[in-house]
Amino acid sequence: MSYKLKSDQGVILADLLAGQVTLMADQLRYSLRIKSQDRTAFTKACGIDLPNKIGQTIIQNDRMVFCVGPDEYILIDNPNLRETLKQKFEQLADKFVFSTTDISHRNIGFKLSGKQAARMINIGCPLDLSLETFPVGKCTRSVFESAEILIFRNKEDEFQLETWRSFAPYMARYFEKFCLENESL
Amino acid sequence: MLLIRCPYCQEERPEIEFSYAGEAHIARPLNPDDLSDESWAEYLFIRSNRRGLHYERWLHAHGCAQFFNALRDTVSDKFETTYKIGEARPQVKK
Amino acid sequence: MTINRKETHGRINRDKPIKFSFDGKIYSAFDGDSLASALLANGIHLVARSFKYHRPRGFLSAGSEEPNALVTFDRGQGRVTSNVRATTLEIFDGLVAYSQNNWPSLKFDIGAINDFFYMLFPAGFYNKTFMWPKSFWDKVYEPAIRKMAGLGPAPIDEDADKYASLYSHCETLIVGSGPAGIAAALSACEKPGRVILIDEQNEFGGSLLSTPNLTINAIPAWQWLKNSLAILKGRQNVTLLARTTVIGYYHDNFLGAVERITDHEKDINQNKARECLHRIRAGEVILATGAIERPLVFPNNDRPGVMLASAARSYLNRYGVVVGEKIALFTCHDSGYEVIFDLADAGISIACIMDVRDQVSDNIIAATKTRGLEIRTSTIVTNTSGKFRISSLHASRINDEKITSTEEIICDCLLMCGGWTPSVHLFSHSKGSLKWQENLGAYIPDTPNENTISIGACNGTFGLTDIMTEADSGQSKYTVDDMDFGSGIIAATFPTKSDPAKIKAFVDYQNDVTEKDINLAVREGLKSIEHVKRYTTTGMATDQGKTSNLNALQITAHAVAKPVQQVGLTTFRPPFTPTTFGALLGGKDGDTFHVTRKTPIDGWADDNGAIFEPVALWRRARYFPREGEDMLAAVNRECRATRESLGIFDASTLGKIEVVGPDAAEFMNRMYTNPWMMLKSGSCRYGLMLGEDGYIMDDGVIGRMAEDRFHVTTTTGGAPRVFRMMEDYRQTEWPELDVWLTSTTEQWAVIALNGPNARKLLEPFVEGIDLNPESFPHMAVREGRICGVETRLFRVSFSGELGFEINVPAHYGRALWEVLFKAGQQYDITPYGTETMHVLRAEKGFIIVGQDTDGTVSPMDAGMSWAIGKKKKDFVGKRSLNRSDIVAKGRKQLVGLLTDDPNIVLEEGAQIVADPNQPIPMDMIGHVTSSYWSATLNRSIALAMIKDGRALTDSDIYIPMADQTHKVRVSTPIFYDPMGERLNVL
Ligand SMILES: [Zn+2]
Repeated sequence: MSYKLKSDQGVILADLLAGQVTLMADQLRYSLRIKSQDRTAFTKACGIDLPNKIGQTIIQNDRMVFCVGPDEYILIDNPNLRETLKQKFEQLADKFVFSTTDISHRNIGFKLSGKQAARMINIGCPLDLSLETFPVGKCTRSVFESAEILIFRNKEDEFQLETWRSFAPYMARYFEKFCLENESL
Repeated sequence: MLLIRCPYCQEERPEIEFSYAGEAHIARPLNPDDLSDESWAEYLFIRSNRRGLHYERWLHAHGCAQFFNALRDTVSDKFETTYKIGEARPQVKK
Repeated sequence: MTINRKETHGRINRDKPIKFSFDGKIYSAFDGDSLASALLANGIHLVARSFKYHRPRGFLSAGSEEPNALVTFDRGQGRVTSNVRATTLEIFDGLVAYSQNNWPSLKFDIGAINDFFYMLFPAGFYNKTFMWPKSFWDKVYEPAIRKMAGLGPAPIDEDADKYASLYSHCETLIVGSGPAGIAAALSACEKPGRVILIDEQNEFGGSLLSTPNLTINAIPAWQWLKNSLAILKGRQNVTLLARTTVIGYYHDNFLGAVERITDHEKDINQNKARECLHRIRAGEVILATGAIERPLVFPNNDRPGVMLASAARSYLNRYGVVVGEKIALFTCHDSGYEVIFDLADAGISIACIMDVRDQVSDNIIAATKTRGLEIRTSTIVTNTSGKFRISSLHASRINDEKITSTEEIICDCLLMCGGWTPSVHLFSHSKGSLKWQENLGAYIPDTPNENTISIGACNGTFGLTDIMTEADSGQSKYTVDDMDFGSGIIAATFPTKSDPAKIKAFVDYQNDVTEKDINLAVREGLKSIEHVKRYTTTGMATDQGKTSNLNALQITAHAVAKPVQQVGLTTFRPPFTPTTFGALLGGKDGDTFHVTRKTPIDGWADDNGAIFEPVALWRRARYFPREGEDMLAAVNRECRATRESLGIFDASTLGKIEVVGPDAAEFMNRMYTNPWMMLKSGSCRYGLMLGEDGYIMDDGVIGRMAEDRFHVTTTTGGAPRVFRMMEDYRQTEWPELDVWLTSTTEQWAVIALNGPNARKLLEPFVEGIDLNPESFPHMAVREGRICGVETRLFRVSFSGELGFEINVPAHYGRALWEVLFKAGQQYDITPYGTETMHVLRAEKGFIIVGQDTDGTVSPMDAGMSWAIGKKKKDFVGKRSLNRSDIVAKGRKQLVGLLTDDPNIVLEEGAQIVADPNQPIPMDMIGHVTSSYWSATLNRSIALAMIKDGRALTDSDIYIPMADQTHKVRVSTPIFYDPMGERLNVL
């Protein structure tokens, strides 16, 4: 028997969000942990560039690597690279002390675009998202009301927001309300 | 809502990202079995509960996820300083 | 109708006449009016009945300090707001408002009888009267008081409006847009940082809106204001927020502000938020919140038509409204004259000017004379008359604190000027300290606790010249043409000839507190203002005593014969003005009120009629009733189906933590009671976690996926707590261990299959795992594929039946469930919920942490010594297991209970006694922790914690309930298949 299980992301976006909020397609996501002293050698050995400071992001093709803690990286990549990356990590297992955990389906990614993007995040997130304090390329974990989020600013007026799967509909509802309100302004 | 400087992120971040984690510099005894009931109870339950400058632990829960130490005034709520786990405790300025 | 308008005055838009309704009657007004100015323009002074005595009340002020003129604002169903100050309610065409606290009408109010029984309502009345008998309180006193006293009615419909919230940041936040605030904003906007200027009114300008005759840099005030606002609006870095009240000032320059967005709009837009809660973090805060004029305390100073002098000025200059045809002034401060001059210059007849002081400056005397007026010095008001509006007053000359003569003067309005109280509310919220300023008779800011400065009147700086200089950081680039602000004296108490017991001189208008009440409180021994406040309720109304606190303080100080500073000061607390719950929630309503976490399979459960229950933040399917089934019937069916054939259960909410690294096993060994070093890859073990105090904290099945990788499961509710505790030990106690933790709760959807047919259903879908019991025994875990997607397949059982827990990446959870459900029809596959899961596990005597344990249960208490690695040197909680209290006799132990009558299902939480005939109070030896009907056993079962319970096995104990006492046999907690043979089904 052969089966093709349908994937869902547990959240449906309202039409009125069109253009302002989009749900990112399935992604490959890893939580990668490695001590800072091994970072350079690890990068050399596997070709995955790791930022050296909390809050920094490195983008290579489809790949984004966020540094969210002193030894913690979130790696997001093209799902087709799953096997390639898996093999790569297996090969390095003897040479380095590090940890990888698949969290592809744990997170849901939203893309928020447009002039209102920062404001839309600030309805529930207390961070100062001005370009001076939150420049393009910066990433961090924070909160959006009751949800933990990962924020990444990829352009002046475009953010990527990640949250755990079961918090995504809750956040989507906030965005809907915001867009309904602003449509009426 | 306080602003708290995370010594790992090296940024001031809103309190809502953090959570309090009790008094600092209370290390778990290396050989608990060697302790008398009294000294084990001391470790478990007795805290200084200081009025004024207090060494305490915080967790940047919704940030870098690191525990760190702080010197904070329990009267004014203000943070005097924050520092990484393992670093020497700063002296209290008189 | 607009007989009380002055065509030459006001900022209202006379090209936009509008109609509004008050108490069902239609009136005319203009765009730009407040409800107060509109009513006054229509000659209406009586707008409210007071809280306690139901006395007729009018407008005291023209601003947010208003204590009297509270109305109900009605925008239709679900949009009724009571206790709105008419002085701040912006009017629009079609506005509907009602007066409050009167029945049957404002003019004929039965409650006004309280005014004649005032002796019943002295200070402390509530505390003294309703002490006895106790049973009278909720049956007699409270309903009666509720009916007679109080403010407007609480709304009964659900709020139909939407609300919003926003976090903002700026380098400079300026609160208040009077001359000081505007000048500060003009300076701040020249610097690179972001500036936010906030004002509670619909228009920026503060006091300037009422003082058009001033000039700044030779430009008339209103023109200067217009020019300045144009500059500010043109700046990229400036945000102007009008109709916005800063309600609280918190740590590190974090301020809450509520913006009223739609209340002034004629049409209702369903999608637009009514109010927005702004949460603002500022680098520097500039407080320019102004000052509030103080009333004077004299007998019957609360009649409609008696108002603050500054209010009359605002009504005239801002709204073009004349508050009377014969206006009197009673003052102790020079600033009252500015008002009387504006009124006189507008051609309004002045009845008389009474000044408490025996001398007034020559300038003022000259300016008064020029206008053909005269000043009665050393004169006070000793009474007023008039039913629904003042009609005359008694002007009494005083000499050496004694009344020498009294004259009745006809008037229809009496203005009071008792000096000014700086608005230090926000400064105090921020924990800045205050100091007493004797010449103002008020507190002003002293040492700030935050990066804040106070400028202008809120800092005790009066007179436009000084204000502008202060606002511009000491520079004097502004030249102003302004009357000297002058000075005054503090006059809180006045001599009287009447019987002091019979007069009512109001201090706190909103709570109906009189001078006499405060004196009584002092006589009864209350010397601190905090006590006087609580006893008399002065300053405790919705206006928080904005107009009354200083007078109450002065009167108290006078009564205790101490300087004011020694009497103390009451605390200012947020919110600055009453705030709607909607705004405080900031748009968190409906499904944003609270996160409801749903599993990947939740949608299927919803589509298939599940009844849900909340578990931590999750909602979980509790049972799946078929047509006509109640919970018991559904659970009985689900239990039987699972034991007889096959049940399917969504276990996705189980907490999951991936523990990875060369030291993973060592870490697990230290965190859990069980031994982990020798556990083979591909095997699972039940893990028990203690707190350092030795009590059970969490449990779960843990699989070793590889030498350096564990798949840990936790209880649903315990997941965040366990993760945090593990991280704590990892980071702070054992940083030398090479191990990392990642929460994977939501990475995996978990489908539990339980029942004799579980393997048969599963087999055809699984690739890469041999399900044969020899190669895949109970408590094993394998990785492979199911229906083409990766899986971590656990052979575990929480039901006692052959069981599998299928972990698949979350996005495939529902699709896999549907495949299994369809294929499972041949085995009558039955979906079950948490209730059945609970019954099945209780039949097997498996505990649920948090239900059968309560944070004081050790592994020995729970009969789980088998889970402790006896040879382990250390683990979290180990040392505590030897504490004398924990090994002592008499601790509660987990046992099973079988009721004598098998049909009785005990109540969870019920208390247990050994001797049912013992007199009350009986010795309670334990309590029921879990109790169910077991369809499998066709009888009830229960688990309980009982003192030395295991020794009581096979003996009887008793459970006294309201209707009868149940006899119960103590048993082992394992009720079903004690040898575990059902796990071995082929
Ligand atoms: Zn941090």
